[in-house]
Amino acid sequence: MNKEKQRAVISADALPFNTEHYREWRRRQIMRMAVTYLAPLVILVVYFQYRYIGLEKDSHRVHLGTIAEHQANTLDLFMSERRVNLVNVVDHPRFSVQPLSEEMSDYLSDLRRASEAFVDIGFFDSAGVQLAYAGPHPSLESRNYRNEDWFTTLTSADDNCVITDVYLGFRQQLHFTIAVSRTVGDRFLILRATLDPWRMYEYIESQQMAGDATTYIVNRAGVYQLVEEELGRPLEECPVEVSSEETYGFGEVESDRGSLKYGFRWLRNTEWALIAQSAPGAESFFSTPQSRSVLVSAALLLVAVLVIFNRAGKLVAQQKEADQTRAQLEHAAKLASVGELASGIAHEINNPLAVITEEAGLLMDYTDPQFGHTLDEEDLRQRLGTIQKSAFRCRDITRKLLRFVRKTDFDLQEHDVHDIIDGVIDDLLGPEILVSSIGVERSYDGSLPKLRTDANQLQQVVLNIVNNASDAIGDGKGEIRITTSRRDNNVLISISDTGCGMTSDQLEKVFLPFFTTKEVGKGTGLGLSVSYGIVRGLGGEIEVESAKDIGTTFRLVLPFRQKR
Amino acid sequence: MSDRIKLLIVDDEEEFLESIAKRLEMRDFNVRTATRGAQAVEIAREEKFDLALLDLKMPGMDGKQVLEILKKEHKYIEVIILTGHGSVDSAIDCTKLGAFGYLPKPYELEKLLDTLRQAFQVRMEKKFRVDQERMDRIAKLATGSSALGILRELKEIDDDEK
Repeated sequence: MNKEKQRAVISADALPFNTEHYREWRRRQIMRMAVTYLAPLVILVVYFQYRYIGLEKDSHRVHLGTIAEHQANTLDLFMSERRVNLVNVVDHPRFSVQPLSEEMSDYLSDLRRASEAFVDIGFFDSAGVQLAYAGPHPSLESRNYRNEDWFTTLTSADDNCVITDVYLGFRQQLHFTIAVSRTVGDRFLILRATLDPWRMYEYIESQQMAGDATTYIVNRAGVYQLVEEELGRPLEECPVEVSSEETYGFGEVESDRGSLKYGFRWLRNTEWALIAQSAPGAESFFSTPQSRSVLVSAALLLVAVLVIFNRAGKLVAQQKEADQTRAQLEHAAKLASVGELASGIAHEINNPLAVITEEAGLLMDYTDPQFGHTLDEEDLRQRLGTIQKSAFRCRDITRKLLRFVRKTDFDLQEHDVHDIIDGVIDDLLGPEILVSSIGVERSYDGSLPKLRTDANQLQQVVLNIVNNASDAIGDGKGEIRITTSRRDNNVLISISDTGCGMTSDQLEKVFLPFFTTKEVGKGTGLGLSVSYGIVRGLGGEIEVESAKDIGTTFRLVLPFRQKR
Repeated sequence: MSDRIKLLIVDDEEEFLESIAKRLEMRDFNVRTATRGAQAVEIAREEKFDLALLDLKMPGMDGKQVLEILKKEHKYIEVIILTGHGSVDSAIDCTKLGAFGYLPKPYELEKLLDTLRQAFQVRMEKKFRVDQERMDRIAKLATGSSALGILRELKEIDDDEK
């Protein structure tokens, strides 16, 4: 449990990113998925919606047209039948030119048997005087109808039958007239019947063809003949303008409930148009098929959006986990290198400590009477010297280590970089290099300005690198090449050797403290790590390049003037 | 054969080697020293040792290699590893290879003496057990087999002394 807790602390500490980072990352994931998955889906949905709604509109138009056509046919049939009813009365052999009122009542009841729409019948002479009448308005009897439209039409035209628009007439009630004329001998006679348009309307309605559409009738003048109360009243102006040139058609009309579609059809034997208009109620958003498809698409998109969000969340969680794992690994690697460092320090310090304890122990034994030894002064001095030397060895290790981890103060002066290098090669290394079979070649860029640096520290760096180079070459023949040049505002010191080189594994660890490829006792593994610290402290960079068995090149990049 | 414990100490740190040798001699050990692994192997071939004290990190042949050779060439020798290294991994490796134990440097002398005594004890017991078995076998052989077999057994005991 303790372990678990510790791990959690490490991962939280080591996490390189904060929640803001993840939020941003999640946002980008969502955007990416929206573009790749949602955008095509939206385009498809919009396209199909567009097509579907267009199709639906067309089919709705066709539907309304069909209703109008069907009802117009029904109405045409109705009108023809009523006319035939009337003609049958007039052409009946029993029909006398001077019918009695009982006879008229018989005719009316015959007609009413055929259709309830018949209201009354009248019989007229050529002067427009009603000779006989049967029906609910006996007061109309003997009225003169000379100036009525239907009368003038019948008397003037060749047509012997007329069907009028709906009108109020003398009786002040909505009705329309079907009248037929006959010439019997030299007498011009007219039989006319009035019909109740509502009865006719009921008849149409009873056909149950309209479905979700409202039907109404207008005449050529655009006046309602028959209409439901919601839309208007008969004889009022109809807002729909029906084209008189075409026998049928479609259109759209604006109403206070939005735009309504309609289909119309002119009747064949009456000057009426039957209009089937989509009922306003049917246009409510949730009931139309196109809106349903819009809802389905919206649901689909919502699901897609939810999936994307869910997926993005999962991706973020995965990423978080991966980051945590990586952070833990990095932490473990750091711990490992700390461990390497610690064990390096331990080795370098424990050995001289062991010398000290043994020498001190031996001196204690000498003074212990049970062993019966005497203390030789010369021996004592020598052993104390060894103890001191070992203690200094320990101190040197810790000092070097500190120099590696901490910036020490530098004594900055103007120096010619070549003097510094020459100082190392000629004065410090001179004798060693001379006796070996290693050639040192120097190629300097004389135009380099002076360098503001710490000469001693830089000498130590060069010395470390040249020492390593000569160790890498070993006892064989080889060459160390030192060149200087300019790189931007820096001086570049390049030190190459033709030595044994390093593997990539070794190259990776080359600046790590206590990492050494030299034999035990020959190197502490601190030279390059200390050099690294110095160069960084001087504001420069140290680069290394190596190929196994070919050689190694170190490059020091030092600014002419370092920023303070 | 003296009754002092014969001890071989191998370490590349000469000052250390010299003083530890002196101190152990003062405590009645019969000590030989070597500063290199190869040298230690040579010395062990010339003389018989009860115990060896090996530094792990040495130039040339390191402590591990010396340990392997000593254990292979000498049946009863017990080896103790000294290490200045902070990590005990390599020391544990050595116990797998047959080392009696390991001590990190620097150590208290008492601890070293304890370890040496224990190692010697183990060595003696092992030798005693093997000798016992041999004697039993000789006893069996004596009751009914050839004189040649007895001679062979006796020669083996003699060889072990080397």
